[in-house]
Amino acid sequence: MSNFIATVSQIDNCDSLHIIKFDFHGHTLSMMSLEIDKKIVIGTRVKLMIKPSHIAIAKDFIGEVSYSNQLNATILSIENGQLLSSIKLESFDTVLESIITCNSSQRMNLQVGDKVTAFIKANEVSIGEIIDD
Amino acid sequence: MIKIDIHKKIYGSHGEMDLDFNLEIKKGDFIALTGESGSGKTTLLRILAGLEDASGTIQVGDEVWLDKSKFISPQKRRIGFVFQDYALFPNMTVLDNLLYVQKNKKLANYLLEITELNELQHRLPTSLSGGQKQRVSLCRAMMNRPQLLLMDEPLSALDPNMRTKLQNEILTLHKEFGTTTIIVSHDPSEIYRLSTRVVVLHLGEIINDGTPKDVLLKTTGSQKFSFEGELLDIIKVDVIYIAIISIGQQLVEVVISHNEAKNLQVGQSVSVSTKAFSPIIHTLS
Repeated sequence: MSNFIATVSQIDNCDSLHIIKFDFHGHTLSMMSLEIDKKIVIGTRVKLMIKPSHIAIAKDFIGEVSYSNQLNATILSIENGQLLSSIKLESFDTVLESIITCNSSQRMNLQVGDKVTAFIKANEVSIGEIIDD
Repeated sequence: MIKIDIHKKIYGSHGEMDLDFNLEIKKGDFIALTGESGSGKTTLLRILAGLEDASGTIQVGDEVWLDKSKFISPQKRRIGFVFQDYALFPNMTVLDNLLYVQKNKKLANYLLEITELNELQHRLPTSLSGGQKQRVSLCRAMMNRPQLLLMDEPLSALDPNMRTKLQNEILTLHKEFGTTTIIVSHDPSEIYRLSTRVVVLHLGEIINDGTPKDVLLKTTGSQKFSFEGELLDIIKVDVIYIAIISIGQQLVEVVISHNEAKNLQVGQSVSVSTKAFSPIIHTLS
């Protein structure tokens, strides 16, 4: 599991459907959600959660892509299994894990230290807990 | 090897039906027998124990317990039987309940030690908790070193903690005594923890037979996280739809597209599934 600590910066809704934006070190992250906890308002600090299998990695990326969340990151480690690679990424103070196929990892020639972009769809982001300061 | 091939007309909750059961069990196997009530599970155990008659054959190792010309009495079959309601002799102490089966004090003490009942050996069953009573009943069932241990929903009256503890003791005794065990159970976690093979009975017939994972894991194609429920409502929000589904005692919401919504009707039984990669697990305090 990858966890981010972020601060709610904007809440838009259409009936029970919500798009919540967060500030993460000056970057904006988006989350798609149905009803949200009433305690979540602008300024609330939360722990966001993303499953490692839902984080995609791009290298030397040019062009537009629909992923709402695009974070610059550096590869900290690569653990190759028979079929899958577990890749640890560092973005600001946060370590993310991405699980991709070994084929993809090899095709992209991913190496420790590479500058990459982590792509996460807004519907794959969820709020794990509200942090009370 | 235990070979069972028996037939009997029985009267279940669905009226008259034929119990038709043919199974070969390897020595040392731990079989979970499951299926809806009235499917013949208890009757089958009683037939194996010799408490009920049936036509067909039962062969345990080299011994024939039942065939056309033979019926070995329950006392002469080396079986242990654990009932849901304990069935202890109320006027005998814990120790005497065990010694009634076999005058073997060494074995009785050994069993009481494994199940941590040593201190209670001179108590009467009425002064024991449900979990303690069922342990006594389990010890008593092991007293004649059974070739076949039969258990009819032995833990269903106990709270979850006690159930887990007794499951471990049952497994220990099963392995220690090298017995072959058949347990009737409806509890998937119990079946998964204990058994090596699951046999599902429906209206007197075997409808499924396999490893616990193969039989219990509900899947829809490649989706390993699957539940069945009833579609209660479909609500349009923006360009998407939200399906409200009751599963067990809970409601869940699933986001669907217009095309998916078109093919669904409120009131339908549905399965809700996702791939094993998606769910997030939280511990409950």
